[in-house]
Amino acid sequence: MKIINVQARRAAALLLLAGAAACGDFLSGGELSTDPNRPTQATSTQLFIGIQSNIWAELESDPTRITSMWVQQFTGTNFQYVNIYNYGVSEQTTNGFHASLYGGGGLVDLRKLEAQSAAAGDSLFLGIAQVQEALLMGTGADLFGDLVYSQALKGTPNPPLDPQLNVYDTVQAVLGRALVNLSAAGPSNFGPGRADLSYGGKAAKWIKLAHTLEARFYLHTAEVRPGAYAQALAEAPLGITDTSDNFVAVFSGNSNEQNFWYQFDIVNRSGYLTPNTSFVSLLESRHDPRLTSYFNADDSDISELRLAPDFTQPLVTANENLLIWSEAADRTGDQGTALTKLNAERELAGLPPEAVASQALLAEILTEKYVSDFQSLEAWNDYKRTCSPNLVPVVAGKKIPARLFYDASERQTDSSIPLPTQQPTRNANDPANAVSDATGVACLGQ
Amino acid sequence: MLLPRTPTLALVLGAATLPCALAAQVTTVTGRVTSDAGVGLADATVSIPALSVGARTQDQGRYTFTVPAARGAGQTVSAIARRVGYTPMTVQITLTAGTVTQNFTLTESALQLGEVVVTGAGTSQTRERLGNVINTVDSSLILRAASPQNVVTALAGTAPNVRVRTQAGDPGSSAYVVIRGATSVTGTNQPLFVIDNQPIDNSTISTSGGDGSTVTQNRAADINPNDIADIQILKGAAASAIYGARAANGVILITTKRGQSGPTRYTYSTTETFDKIDRTMPLQTDWGQGSDSLSGRCATPNCAGAAGSFGPFLAGSTPVFNHASEIFQTGLTADNNLSISGGNTRTTFYLSGGETGQQGVMKGGNNRYDRTTFRLKATHQLLEALTLGGNFSFYDTRGDYVQKGSNTDGLLLGALRTPPDFNNLPFLDPVSGLQRSYRFPDPTPSSIRSGRGYDNPFFVLANNGNRSELGRFIGNVSADYVATDWLSFHYTLGADYYDDSRLEALPLTSSGEPNGDLTRLNLNNLQIDHNLTASLTHDFGTNIDAKLTLGQNLNSRRFRSVSVFGDQLIAPTPFVLQNTVSYTPTELRSLRHIEAYFAQGELGFYDQLFLTAGLRDDGFSTFGASKRTALYPKVDLSWLFTRFLGNASESGVLSSGKLRAAYGETGAEPPVYATITALSSTALFGSGFGDAIGVKQSGQGGLVTGGALGNNDLRPERDREAEVGTDLSFFDQRSDLSFTYYNRRSTDVILSIPVNASQTGAASQLANAATVSNKGVELAFNMRPISNRASEWSIGLQWARNQGRVVSLAQGVEFIPYDNEGFTGSIGSSTVGYAPGVIRGLDFARCGYGEQIDIDGSGNLQSIDALCGANAKKGSLFLNNVNGRGLPVVDPDETVIADPNPKWTGSINSSYRLGHWEVSTLLDIRHGGQMWDGTRSALYRFGTHKDTDIRSQIGTFGQNWETSVYPDVAGPGAGRPAFSSEAQWEQWFTTEGGSASDAQAQFVENAGFVKWRELALSYRLDQPTIVGKLGVSSAVIRVAGRNLKTWSNYKGLDPESSLGGAEFLTQGIDYFNNPLTRSFVVSMTLNR
Repeated sequence: MKIINVQARRAAALLLLAGAAACGDFLSGGELSTDPNRPTQATSTQLFIGIQSNIWAELESDPTRITSMWVQQFTGTNFQYVNIYNYGVSEQTTNGFHASLYGGGGLVDLRKLEAQSAAAGDSLFLGIAQVQEALLMGTGADLFGDLVYSQALKGTPNPPLDPQLNVYDTVQAVLGRALVNLSAAGPSNFGPGRADLSYGGKAAKWIKLAHTLEARFYLHTAEVRPGAYAQALAEAPLGITDTSDNFVAVFSGNSNEQNFWYQFDIVNRSGYLTPNTSFVSLLESRHDPRLTSYFNADDSDISELRLAPDFTQPLVTANENLLIWSEAADRTGDQGTALTKLNAERELAGLPPEAVASQALLAEILTEKYVSDFQSLEAWNDYKRTCSPNLVPVVAGKKIPARLFYDASERQTDSSIPLPTQQPTRNANDPANAVSDATGVACLGQ
Repeated sequence: MLLPRTPTLALVLGAATLPCALAAQVTTVTGRVTSDAGVGLADATVSIPALSVGARTQDQGRYTFTVPAARGAGQTVSAIARRVGYTPMTVQITLTAGTVTQNFTLTESALQLGEVVVTGAGTSQTRERLGNVINTVDSSLILRAASPQNVVTALAGTAPNVRVRTQAGDPGSSAYVVIRGATSVTGTNQPLFVIDNQPIDNSTISTSGGDGSTVTQNRAADINPNDIADIQILKGAAASAIYGARAANGVILITTKRGQSGPTRYTYSTTETFDKIDRTMPLQTDWGQGSDSLSGRCATPNCAGAAGSFGPFLAGSTPVFNHASEIFQTGLTADNNLSISGGNTRTTFYLSGGETGQQGVMKGGNNRYDRTTFRLKATHQLLEALTLGGNFSFYDTRGDYVQKGSNTDGLLLGALRTPPDFNNLPFLDPVSGLQRSYRFPDPTPSSIRSGRGYDNPFFVLANNGNRSELGRFIGNVSADYVATDWLSFHYTLGADYYDDSRLEALPLTSSGEPNGDLTRLNLNNLQIDHNLTASLTHDFGTNIDAKLTLGQNLNSRRFRSVSVFGDQLIAPTPFVLQNTVSYTPTELRSLRHIEAYFAQGELGFYDQLFLTAGLRDDGFSTFGASKRTALYPKVDLSWLFTRFLGNASESGVLSSGKLRAAYGETGAEPPVYATITALSSTALFGSGFGDAIGVKQSGQGGLVTGGALGNNDLRPERDREAEVGTDLSFFDQRSDLSFTYYNRRSTDVILSIPVNASQTGAASQLANAATVSNKGVELAFNMRPISNRASEWSIGLQWARNQGRVVSLAQGVEFIPYDNEGFTGSIGSSTVGYAPGVIRGLDFARCGYGEQIDIDGSGNLQSIDALCGANAKKGSLFLNNVNGRGLPVVDPDETVIADPNPKWTGSINSSYRLGHWEVSTLLDIRHGGQMWDGTRSALYRFGTHKDTDIRSQIGTFGQNWETSVYPDVAGPGAGRPAFSSEAQWEQWFTTEGGSASDAQAQFVENAGFVKWRELALSYRLDQPTIVGKLGVSSAVIRVAGRNLKTWSNYKGLDPESSLGGAEFLTQGIDYFNNPLTRSFVVSMTLNR
């Protein structure tokens, strides 16, 4: 039995050895505990770049395409776009553009960027981040109405929705603070520099954008707050008046860095969208030179220029600002300024000056803005406010949609958000169906 | 010698009592093993366990082995003959110098109670001791399977509740297997694959997404089925608990063939398989390209033709083309295998080489799959107590694939949408040499970077840019050490390593990317597994025996993937990254470790009552830091009550009977790095339509908060399963019946729960939130009405049902969609109250559900039930009266529209042997289960489907249109014609009545089927007078038809196919899926 005992001892030793091999921590350390694929720290500049991409998407991707169909600049001609064109709108139509107000590149990173900038004493960067925040959340209010904002990112279960007009007020307050910060001088004001592909980190340009956004968002409340025209009129002169100051999205044309319209119309969903024939006719009847820059030779598609993968997309423009100025002046009784600013904008657009007055002037301002705000959410925002142009719904008996539903993911995780069927069809800034358009004709689509 | 298959008590005892024999002469043991019907049994083993010698029988059951003089002469030892399907027979023989002749006559054993079953992690038990179900699939069944190239496909119809779904008929296509229903609500629910005690990778990784792209292989398909001796399917949690947190979906244990001491054996087999597609899509040939009944053809340079076939009625003289069949041909698979095996008393070896070359059924040479494999498995008894083993295999797998599915460059999408009056040939314009398609028929050289609407299918077939090249090594070394008569060790150290190099390219003019693009994907996977077990045995008197196994398992999985997307080809070819304008790389690395300890104790009482209990303590690096380990217990009980009743001979009307009960727990580990909250440099911003920009822009690198919140409390999923059952055999084992009921509850099921972005900045978080239950019954019945020397007839029936149900998801979450299946109208999901993997979408409004719908866009909600009227049958289709037409209205509430899970599955097999002839057949039945026929939906939209011929007639819901989906109608539009003109039909098909419609429920169909998997006739040539002249010992010639016929109400091509492969949970989506094939097989096997 002695041999057996030796063997048993050897066996026990073998087991111990195997056990010892595992005594070192086999389950943690190195690649077991840290993710080798994703970083966990970001600089202000890196956050800024991500936010910049998110804002461009919010302003140029699906919401703009959809609302451009609803205001009949485009026609939906294939699959889901036929349905959306025919006002088939559901939670899915929102496509994540509600949640993206808050997620990566949205408010969560804006708050980080603002905190990091404040801590670093970089008031330029802080001001820029605040303008970005106002642009993003103001656009969110345009699309969805009431929003979680004052209680955002506070870890509040089922956070309440702030009324839309309160959101606009907060946006104005944020823009006010942004202007203070952008105007402050300081030794550590580095800003985003060349990471800012729109403005190169220049405070003067961001200041102009901030004023134009103030004007824009005042205008969006004007249907229920008539005094907002005067407020817009105060800001527009300080806003963007030169196209070189336009807030734009810049695309290199490399993969994942391509203009959204190129990606949608050429790469992914060719044939889903075509130029709306009535919009083409409008441009033709106005002998508008933009016909050829908007559309191709036979008006069957967007122009080659605007379908280039590296086309620089205007998002907030001098044209828009001048026309806000013009309309706000007109609405507050200053037809002289209204005409001057209209003609200033027409000059930018390559149109001869006009000499119209009274109701025809307002109609002309709104028509020009409708044409000018091409591939922009503003055409739809203005339509909701003014019923101009007086569009005939493409489906008889239906109204042109006046808001998007909240994302299902946000609704499911926030009991403050009602079911789609219980959500309002219009937002607070656009409460009632407009009775008439700018010329007094009965409104057909609201 | 202790091999994994036979470490029994007797063996351990035998090896330990080795006598120091001194006799000088060699003993040769020889004889024949026959069945009680007198038929020689090949592939039986005859061994003297005490001396670790033995051999496998050859043709006609003959065997021979020698016992070295030093080891056994003069003594009397036990010799045992075993064969799958027969009761083992033990005899005492006295080893004398010279030749000892010993014949064995084995009786058929219906329940195979004496068979040794590998139970995993280095353990094995005889079947009588099992208190749970382990299905055994032997090699003959695998080679007879419908598509034996892929071992997973080969499991179809072999065991109850082992549901196999092959993605498509493409060579190299993946197969999905789910055992007793899905337990995870997001994962793919694929079982763990273990080969020769070593876990291997069976992942299915698509190069660029499963909806479009090409088919993808599941990695277990690398294994050469000819090397497989048998497969054990561990189904329930009690059976698989020994694999702990990797076993929630069951375990498939594959044992490869091994050599036996004795004369060297050679086996050569060659199989030629001719494949054809089973059926083609019915297409109309009466209406031409166009819209509004006007021709939409064009012939001017670079013009765009109409997308649809709503043009004029085609005159009889107009040539039309069969786009459904013109792209197919007869495929051919050549499979050649050679194996050489043998050994002497101390050393055994099995050496094999296999080569499979498959040309698919699509025309052109870019539809191929080739696999070459080698294996050497050897053992050597180094010391009396120590046996070393090595088992090395190498695989070279390569394939060329065709773009498919939801993809404007996909084969069937372009082919079936082509109007009947357009000739897809030539697919290259004779002048410009560029692709022409029906939407772009006349390309000039300037269109080299313009899309074609949809690609010409022949252009798709000519694309040679979709490839995979894989080299894989799976090997292990093992050691068996018999320390004492009561203690032995078994050790395995194995590695599974592969490197898979993929290319997926779209040439210039491709509709999806007119500028061309390509994806290079390199996958590199290494799994190392260390498994050490110690077995202790003890008999407490003569009536109680005990065994305890202790084990340690260390496992390391390292994964590396580098994917580079190259956008915009510079020159038309070659498809290399430096020939593209810009690149997007994605790198993924991961490392996961497991450290587990397990113990399993077995007690046997009076050779009739057996209790097994086990516990595994599993430590995973992927578990949240708050708890790194989890315990998985099991216990099972088996009682051979017929022995208690005194029937020890296993004969008579009730020959044997076993009652069994088992309980076990298993788990599923969380995904790697899910505990970590991190930033993303690769997030994309954009819409679900594919337009998106990255965080990085114009050379500036950005970072954003990642969409997924980390969860440091993540635990493994836990499955608790109880099963009870019985195995009975009747009429002297001529017939047997097995019944099992199981009830499994999976808790802590991991899913990505939506988190509120306005509070967290993230979209989702993985959490242990859901509960899933699966209950079912399994029945197997086998009968051998005839069994004699001249003929044998057997019949087998299997029936199984699994009822899966998502009991709950996260709080307040009613369903979770899977975006990766990509269809807005039919979304794969897990929904509370349904089995995992159901499809959601919209339906038309139906009566009786209390719906309030705005039916006319007025903004006013109206009660559908009131409009339907009091007499409307519940579920009737609501028809609105729209200007005198009876039309349905889309119900805006999303619901479950299709459940792809079958109600029950079954199979019937039978074989009849008469002399040297044998005929066998297999029917595979899937009853119930639905499929979304997105192909039909799209072909309505494009007006090419045969059904759209109805456009010349009046169509009325409830009378002659969609009556199979909506037999009953009600409401103000009931009975009114819906469509009275070609224009109305076209308007319908292109909006609410086709793929543009939100209401995709109208295209959900019953996908149940009966498939005639096989009818085979074989002739066995083993008459000594003939085979001697041929230089072989036996030959088998076999002809077979596979997938001969499918009986199904499914209107699409194949109810078995699936758009996504084994990488997806939802399996019931058909969107231009390539169908499975029907095959004619000729094979010949030569043995020597």
